[in-house]
Amino acid sequence: MALQLRKMLQKGMSIAVLVPLLSMTFLLTGCWDRTELNDLAIVTAVAIDKAEGSGITLTLQFANPSQMGGQQGSEGGGGSGKKPTITKQAEGETIFEAMSFIQQQLSRNIFWGHNQALIIGKEVAKEGVQPYVDFFAHHPDPRLRSYVYVSEGKAAEVLRLLPQLEPSSGDIARELAKLKTGMSVTIKELLQMLNSDAGSAALPKVLPIFEENEKGGLQITGTAVFKNEKMIGSIDEEVTRGVLWLRDEIHLAAVKLSPDNTEGFISFNLIRSHTKLVPKIENGIWEMQVNIVAEDDIVENQTNLQLTDPQIIQQLEELLGEKVEERIYMALNDVQQELKTDILGFADAFHRKYPAEWDAVEDDWEEKFLEVKVTINSKVYIKRLGMSVAPQGVPKEEVKRTE
Amino acid sequence: MKLRRRKYIEKQAKQHTLQESNVPSDNKSLSDQLTDNKEELKKLYANCSDVVFRSFFLNGKEDALLVYIDGLTQVEEIDDNVLAPLMKKTYAEQGSVRELLKKKVAVASVTEVETYTNCVSEISVGNPVVILEGSSTGFSLGLAKPETRAISEPSSESVVRGPREGFVESLHVNRALLRRKIRSPQLKMETIEIGTYTKTTVIISYVSGLADETLIKEVRNRVARVEIDGVLDSGVLEEFIEDYPYSPFPQVLTTERPDVAAGSLLEGRVVILVDGTPFVMIAPVSLYSFLQASEDYYMRFIMSTLIRWLRYAFLVISLLLPSFYVAVITFHQEMVPTALLISMAASREQLPFPALIEALIMEVTFEALREAGIRLPKQIGAAVSIVGALVIGESAVTAGIVSAPMVIVVALTGIASFTIPRYSQAIALRMLRFPMIILAGTLGILGIMLGIIAIVIHLSTLRSFGVPYLSPMAPMKSGEMKDTLARAPWWKLNARPHFTGAYNEHRQSASQKPNPGKGEE
Repeated sequence: MALQLRKMLQKGMSIAVLVPLLSMTFLLTGCWDRTELNDLAIVTAVAIDKAEGSGITLTLQFANPSQMGGQQGSEGGGGSGKKPTITKQAEGETIFEAMSFIQQQLSRNIFWGHNQALIIGKEVAKEGVQPYVDFFAHHPDPRLRSYVYVSEGKAAEVLRLLPQLEPSSGDIARELAKLKTGMSVTIKELLQMLNSDAGSAALPKVLPIFEENEKGGLQITGTAVFKNEKMIGSIDEEVTRGVLWLRDEIHLAAVKLSPDNTEGFISFNLIRSHTKLVPKIENGIWEMQVNIVAEDDIVENQTNLQLTDPQIIQQLEELLGEKVEERIYMALNDVQQELKTDILGFADAFHRKYPAEWDAVEDDWEEKFLEVKVTINSKVYIKRLGMSVAPQGVPKEEVKRTE
Repeated sequence: MKLRRRKYIEKQAKQHTLQESNVPSDNKSLSDQLTDNKEELKKLYANCSDVVFRSFFLNGKEDALLVYIDGLTQVEEIDDNVLAPLMKKTYAEQGSVRELLKKKVAVASVTEVETYTNCVSEISVGNPVVILEGSSTGFSLGLAKPETRAISEPSSESVVRGPREGFVESLHVNRALLRRKIRSPQLKMETIEIGTYTKTTVIISYVSGLADETLIKEVRNRVARVEIDGVLDSGVLEEFIEDYPYSPFPQVLTTERPDVAAGSLLEGRVVILVDGTPFVMIAPVSLYSFLQASEDYYMRFIMSTLIRWLRYAFLVISLLLPSFYVAVITFHQEMVPTALLISMAASREQLPFPALIEALIMEVTFEALREAGIRLPKQIGAAVSIVGALVIGESAVTAGIVSAPMVIVVALTGIASFTIPRYSQAIALRMLRFPMIILAGTLGILGIMLGIIAIVIHLSTLRSFGVPYLSPMAPMKSGEMKDTLARAPWWKLNARPHFTGAYNEHRQSASQKPNPGKGEE
């Protein structure tokens, strides 16, 4: 080939002739893996439910672009009655099998690249999620950053819901996870949890709330707790917040306080917090010190307290710390004593600091976890008093201050 | 085969030596018989109605001949300062003809011509030639009529701040404009005549001591070897003196602005002026020269720096945006944010064409519109652009033939290519956009990378008069970054850019940063 080329060049065939000739080889490739955008069925959410027989029911939610975005969408809007998302269902032993059945019903290629959420039905969760999450780690198309939820009822219901604010229920699931009012777990994080020392996982639970016909919203109703890839129980939202404090994942926290000798409440808004787990083994006693430093703003004051008074602020800071601790102890009680599952990251903390001791208890961590003594040291700082410092609408003589 | 090729070469060689058929090729001298001379010249200028032969009597008795071309010569001057004094009978003393002309003809420039070739070339320029009976020497009088338009603002390179004069079509005006900028006698102007028929004057101009000697020699050689029937614009000459004639990238900078030319001269570059065109050529240049406007040096330096960055960014956009868009929506849909992908999908829902075809249609249409806008008269040009914008921007989208995002991409690309100050460079990138789109549509981002690599390899092999095209970036000259990546303030630009060989290093004295006192305290 090269020799021929050289001969051709010697015969006076110039580069100007060769370049077009060679560039024709591009036409031979035929764009074999090219897919036009309007040949794609964009998956926005996936739901996995237990099938009646064996295997699973896979539900896929697809974006219907002509109803969802752009000019054309707003024209057709509500009038045409077309839905912004459509759902398709199929049964199969594996996710891929079910997906190929769905593909048979579709005129477009199923495209996983923009999957927002994976909703796992409660029944599937109870039997174990491991066989199904593997697909999302294995197949190159789905993204690992999709958020994972456990649904209260049938997972497919979540996908069937047509949201009021967001374009799809998959979008709501993503936005809820981003807000971090509850647990927020991506597929990648779920895989990491399942492979962690504790072998347990926690996933947010989601409940579709239908308001009119298929329209409605999603609500996070707490956290499903997994032990060895099987769901063994759940905790409610309040306890979840305690868990979030322990996991250092708390971002939004509205706390209210009613100090002694006053009427009404003072509301605090969490600005930032940092939780540090300090494991300790002394005389064979395993102890976990939880150090929390948090910063709060006062956003509401119903009482007659004068907030500019440093002593009052100090008292409030102490009360706030107690309140946080109280919440954490409540969560600890549920998780450690009742569910007996380490979703708090204690196992990893001990493993890191005491690798030798860890090796000894690794196999009986479930029992050892119950014995871990937890002490909480919290320090809360009130950073800002808000726009008005004096209690509003309270006569001057009734404003309370320390003398 | 071989034989045929040899014949072909021989034929080429024969044609190659261009000659005007009826001009005496040897340097035949003028005869001392006036009638012979007249006959010979009339033979040369047969059927040339614009050539005037005026016979008159010198001093009332001696035969003399005046030859000039009507329209190229200042006839009034001939009447007043040549014919009138020579024809008057008042003087009687005999002397040499040379003396006579010295005394009687009030013309600044008088040159002697001794051959027909010289004679013809002087007449062609517009200088009238006087030949006397009994003398084999003619006299060419510098009375050519400078036909020129007024100096106006160059339309291809307008500025907000900066000189508003531009070169014009006549060489001697252009030469004067340059001389006005650089008054030093070190500014040299070498003249070469090119074009067997057009006899176009080409001036190679440089500042001696700033421009490298080898560079000047190279330019001289390259220009001198050109053998052509006519040079009508500097563009003709440009193709003869380039380093890489097949490259899409221009290796010579053209400008209409005397300040750009003067600035380049002061940087040690060579400027080539061609008679009959306002576009002068500057060499050597690098890729970055094409991304700098003269105004960069007149505006405040912070602004200039930001604008340079903007140009670099839009250079990339003008080359890559359509291909990137095509690659992403046909191969890499997962790269786009979900919301954006869905709105793009919505706009493409009803489209008949694949993205690659759509992009090619739109880009070709855009190029056609641009071309139509340039060629048409100004009034119609505006109409074309309105129709184009309406038809393509509005109707095509509404009719569902192209998608709105594609229109945005094409429009943005168009704007991006207009931010490149030099038309010749912008058009090169515009051209390369098409292979890039095809690569993107067939191989995705992999194809774009292949294209970029090919372009970068080509750019790094390019040279302009021996200077690497990517300098001062490759080879890296860190000292010149301050006038490439940024535009440093003038009081920092102490070193002259360096192309080849030895050079005059300092362009100004250091530490001239203004540092006025804070006043008396």
